[in-house]
Amino acid sequence: MSASELSLVRPASLAEAVAQVENGARALAGGTDLVPLLRDGLVRADTLVDVRAALPRGIQGTRIGAGTTLADLERSEEVPRALREACRLAASPQLRNMGTIGGNLRQATRCWYWRLGFPCFLHGGDRCHARAGEHREHAIFGNERCASAHPSDPAAALLALCATVETDRRAIPIVELFRLPTDDERDVVALEPGELILSLDVPAPDASVYLKAMDRRRFAFALVGVAAARFGGEVRLGLAGVAPIPWLLAGPEGLDEATPLPGTAYKVQIARALLGRALDAVAPG
Amino acid sequence: MARLIRTEKEVEGKYTEQWIVVEEDSLDQWPEGPQTTVGRPAARVTGPARARGEAEYTADVQLPGMLHTAVLRSPHGHARVTRLELGPALEAPGVRGVLTPEECEHLTSEPGYPGEPVAAVAADTFAQAEAALARIDVDWEIVEPRLDPDDAVRREELIGEPQRYERGDADRGLAEADVVVEAEYRTQTVLHNALETHQSVCVWEGGRLTVYTSTQFIWGVRAEVAEHFGIPEDRVRVVCRYMGGGFGAKTTPGEYTYIAAQLARKTGRPVRCALTRREENLASGNRHATIQRLVAGAREDGTLTALGGEFTMAVGWDGFQSSTAGPMQMLYACDNVRTVEYGAKLNTGPNAAFRAPGFVEGTFGLECLLDELAAKLGLDPLELRRRNYADSDLVDDRPFSSKNLLECYRRAEPHWGRRDEVRARSEGPWRRGVGLASQIWYGAGGPPSYAWVRVGSDGRAHVITGGQDIGTGTTTALAQIAAEELGLPLDRVEISIGDSDRGPYASISAGSSTTPSLGPAVRAAAADVARQIVEVAAQRHDLEERVLSLRDGNVVSADGGSWGLEEITGLFDDAQIIGKGSRGPNPTGMRVLTFGVQVAEVAVDVETGEIRVERIAAIHDIGRVINPLGASSQVEGGIIQGLGHTLSEQRLLDPESGAVLTQTLDAYKLPTIADVPEIVTELLDIPDPHLTNLGAKGLGEPPIIPTAAAIANAIRDATGADVRSLPITREEMLRALEEARERERAVAGSAG
Ligand SMILES: Cc1cc2nc3c(=O)[nH]c(=O)nc-3n(C[C@H](O)[C@H](O)[C@H](O)COP(=O)(O)OP(=O)(O)OC[C@H]3O[C@@H](n4cnc5c(N)ncnc54)[C@H](O)[C@@H]3O)c2cc1C
Ligand code: SF4
Repeated sequence: MSASELSLVRPASLAEAVAQVENGARALAGGTDLVPLLRDGLVRADTLVDVRAALPRGIQGTRIGAGTTLADLERSEEVPRALREACRLAASPQLRNMGTIGGNLRQATRCWYWRLGFPCFLHGGDRCHARAGEHREHAIFGNERCASAHPSDPAAALLALCATVETDRRAIPIVELFRLPTDDERDVVALEPGELILSLDVPAPDASVYLKAMDRRRFAFALVGVAAARFGGEVRLGLAGVAPIPWLLAGPEGLDEATPLPGTAYKVQIARALLGRALDAVAPG
Repeated sequence: MARLIRTEKEVEGKYTEQWIVVEEDSLDQWPEGPQTTVGRPAARVTGPARARGEAEYTADVQLPGMLHTAVLRSPHGHARVTRLELGPALEAPGVRGVLTPEECEHLTSEPGYPGEPVAAVAADTFAQAEAALARIDVDWEIVEPRLDPDDAVRREELIGEPQRYERGDADRGLAEADVVVEAEYRTQTVLHNALETHQSVCVWEGGRLTVYTSTQFIWGVRAEVAEHFGIPEDRVRVVCRYMGGGFGAKTTPGEYTYIAAQLARKTGRPVRCALTRREENLASGNRHATIQRLVAGAREDGTLTALGGEFTMAVGWDGFQSSTAGPMQMLYACDNVRTVEYGAKLNTGPNAAFRAPGFVEGTFGLECLLDELAAKLGLDPLELRRRNYADSDLVDDRPFSSKNLLECYRRAEPHWGRRDEVRARSEGPWRRGVGLASQIWYGAGGPPSYAWVRVGSDGRAHVITGGQDIGTGTTTALAQIAAEELGLPLDRVEISIGDSDRGPYASISAGSSTTPSLGPAVRAAAADVARQIVEVAAQRHDLEERVLSLRDGNVVSADGGSWGLEEITGLFDDAQIIGKGSRGPNPTGMRVLTFGVQVAEVAVDVETGEIRVERIAAIHDIGRVINPLGASSQVEGGIIQGLGHTLSEQRLLDPESGAVLTQTLDAYKLPTIADVPEIVTELLDIPDPHLTNLGAKGLGEPPIIPTAAAIANAIRDATGADVRSLPITREEMLRALEEARERERAVAGSAG
C-alpha cells in the first residue's frame, strides 16, 4: 500500500477518536511500529486516526494515560521501578520519545518470518516456520502453534505489577489483554475492533524490578526479560521474550514447565538466573 | 626521466606482475617521528562539510529529470523464471522504462540466490517504480537450494580450485610434537552494512557516460563500464566525491551501475539505482562463513613443529575464496605447514571482500588455537608467540621490508601485565580475564598512482588526484603530506579527489593501500613544485638554490632571509607552478606487511552468558603514521566492527528456503555505542626504510584482524571455556561454559 492511498485524520477529542477508529481505520499513536508495518504491507488500513491529541497523556498517581511516551515513563519518579526500568531498557531514546505505552502493548511480533510476510500460522496460515526453522529468538512457553516471543518489556512489568487496562469500553486486568493465538483467533491482543486503550492503572508495589538479557548492551528486544513485583508477602513475576504473549509465572518452579525449542533452550537458563536475581532484588529488608 | 620497470603488484595477498612507468623517486624519507604537519594530529579537512550536510554523497546527487529504479529480485534461493511479463509494469503511472534479462547481462532468469536481480523498472519516483514492480507478472520454478558448505565440498560444488599449500612435512612435524592440539572453529556470515548503500546515478550526454557512484575505485568502475558499453574509457567519467563506507564491497561497478546506465541510455534521462537497506543485506556481498579444522604441534618449550588446517568457506553463488589460511602460513616461524582451502558454491548471496577478507576469520582460528596450545603447554601465551617469531617471510622466502612485531609485543606487556589485577576484579557471577592475539596483513600499496599539485599566485597549494576518500580520512592525510613538503600550514592546502575527469589515475582504496599508494605520489608532486619555487626564488633574489628551503609558508635562506611564498609566486599574476608526481615501485624481493597485537579485557556473567568487552589495547606496526588522529579513528572503527563480528552480528538464513531473515537492522545486530569498550591505540610509527618516500603502510584493515581472537582468548582466561564459534552469542557462551564444567567434572571424577 502506498502512502498516498491512506488518509489521515486528527481528532481533537476522545469521543471523535473513538468514533473514527472504525472499520478500515487504525489508531496511530507514535507510529514507531504501525508505520513500518503499513509500509511493508503487513497491516492494511485506509484511514489512520492520529489519537495523540485525544488520548490521555501523563502520570497521575497510579493512573498512566495510554498516550504517555516510554521516555516520560522512564523519567517519572511516580512510576514503579519495574516499569521505569522496562521502559529505559526498551528500544532507543529516539523511539522512546515517540513510542507510547498504549502502542507498545499493541505492537506486533518481531518474529522474522512474520515480519518478512511468510504465510505462517500467525498470519493465518497453517504452520509455524520458526519451529522447524531459525528460532534462536523465539519462545520457551506456549509455543506449540506459534513460537514467537512477545517483544514488549513494559508489558512484562505491567503483568508483574497487576495493572488494569482501561479502554473506551471496559476495564480488564492486563493478563486478560493477551491470549495465545488459536486456530480461530490469531490476534494475541484481546481488544475488539476499534477498541482503544485509554489508560492503565498500575498499583504501587512495595518493591519491583525489571532485568533484561539482550544480544547487545542496548537497543535490542529481550531474549529474556524478567519483572518482579512484591506486594506485601506476595511476589508476581512477568516475563518478556519467552512466549507469544507476556508470560505470567507463578514462581521460579514455573520454569520447569518450559517447552523450549532446540534453539531456545538457553533462554531457560538465562530466565533462571534473572529470576533468582529479581527475587533477591525485591526481597524485603 | 621516465623509467619503464616491471614490478609486482599486490592487492590483499594476490600478486601480479605489471609494467609501469615511474619518475625517478629521488626523495629521501623524512626522519623518524613527527614533522611539522605529518605525524601530528589533524582534524579531518572534510569534517565540517560532512557535519553540516554539505558534503555531496552519491545519495545526494539530484539531476534534472532523474528517474528512480526498482529492481525485481528473486525471492527464492534458487529458481528459474518461466514467465516474465513486463507489459503491465510499463503501463503503470510514472514508469519510463524497463529492463529484462535479455537486454542486460547483469539481470538473470535463473537466479541462484535470494535477491539476485531479474528485471528493473525506472520511474519518475521510487515509490512509482516500486509500485510498478508489483505489477510484473512472473512465474518461478523453484529449485531446492543448496545451503550446507560441507555438503557442497563433498559434492565438489566449488568456486575456484581448492587451494593447497605445504611447506616442510606437516605429518612429520606432528609426529615430532610433544603436544598436539586440534580444534574446529567456525565463523559466521556477516554483512558490511555501510551507512551508504550501494548506488549509482548514470547520465549519458552526447555519447559520454557520467557515473556518480559510491565506490572504492573510480578507475576500476571506469574501465569496466567502458568495456561493457564498448566505448573508450575516456568517454566515461566516474565521480565519487564523498562516500559513506565500502569496507571492501564496493570495488566493482555492481549490477546497479549497469542497470542505471542501461536504463539511462534507454530513456534518455539520468537514472538512479540505489539499493534499499534490505537489498543491501541480500545482494551486495558479505564476509563468507568459514569452518576451520585446525591442528598444531609443539615441543615442550613451545617451538611449533607443525601447523595444519582444512578450511571450508561458504562463498555463495559467486565471489571469491578469501585467504583464510593466510595467517597460518605467514604469522609464525613454523617449518611444517599444510593447508587446504575449499570454496563452497551455495545458493546464498555472493561474498565480497570485507575488511581483511580471510585474515579476520583465519586469525580467529589460529590465534585461539595458539592459546589452547599455550594452556596445554603451561606457557604464557605472549611468550609462546615470541618463541615462534618469524624473522623472515617463510611463504615466499624473503626478508621483510620492515617488521617490528617484537616491539609491539614489548609495548603490549603493560597491558598484558594487568591480568592479575583484572582477574582479581571478578566478583559474583562476573568473571574477568585478559586475552591477546597477533595480527599480520598486507598494506604496502603500490604503483601506479599519480598526483598533481599547483601553487597559484596567492601562495596556496591545490592537490589534485583521481583517488577517492572512502571515509578513512585520505583527503586529510594527503593534504598533510603536501603541506609538509611545501612548508605550508594545512589550511593553505586544498585538495580535489574523486573525479576521473579531473585528476590523474590513482589506486584502488582496498587492501589498506590508499595512503601508501597515493601518499608518495602526492609528496613527489609537492616536491616537484617545491623545487621549482626554490629555483624561481634563487633567481629572483640572486641566491644559490641549496641555501633555500620552504618553511611556515615562507621561502627562507640559510643566511636568515625570508620571503612569503606569495611574494615569490605573486610575481606571476595568473600563472601557476605545476608539479606532478608518481608512486614509485615497492622494494623488490621483499615482503611488505603490517603487524600488530591486541590485548582485550572482558567480563563474563557465567550465569546469563553476557559478555562485556571492557578494554582493548591495540598496538600496530604500520610504518610511518601520517595523521595520528585519523589513524586512531581507523583503529577504533576496526575494533568496533570486529566487536560486532565477535559478539552479535550474523546473517541468519531460513534453513528450508535460504531466505535471509536478518535484512533489517533490528534483526541484524551491529554494535551500538553502548557496546564500545575503552580503546587504547598505540601505533609504533617507525617508517619502513625500504618502502617509498614516506615509509608509510596502510591501516584500514589491520585493526579488525585480531579483535575476535583476543576477545575469545580473554573469555577463556576469565572462565576456562573454549568459545570456538562466532558470534559468541549467549547460547554459544553458555554452551562453552557447560562444556568447561563437564570437563572439570570429568577431571575431578578421574582424580577422585
Ligand atoms: C527498532 C525498534 C526497537 C524496539 N525495541 C523495543 C524494545 O526493546 N522493547 C519494547 O518493549 N519495545 C520495543 N520497540 C517497540 C516500541 O516500543 C513500540 O513500537 C512503541 O512503544 C509503540 O508505540 P507507538 O505509540 O509508536 O505505537 P504505534 O506504532 O502508533 O501503534 C502500534 C499499534 O498500536 C495500536 N495503538 C496505538 N495506540 C493505541 C491505543 N491507545 N489503543 C489501542 N491501540 C493502539 C496501533 O493501531 C498499532 O496497531 C521497538 C520498536 C522498534 C521500531
Ligand atoms: S513463530 Fe509465530 S509468527 Fe513466527 S513463524 Fe511461527 S507462527 Fe509465524
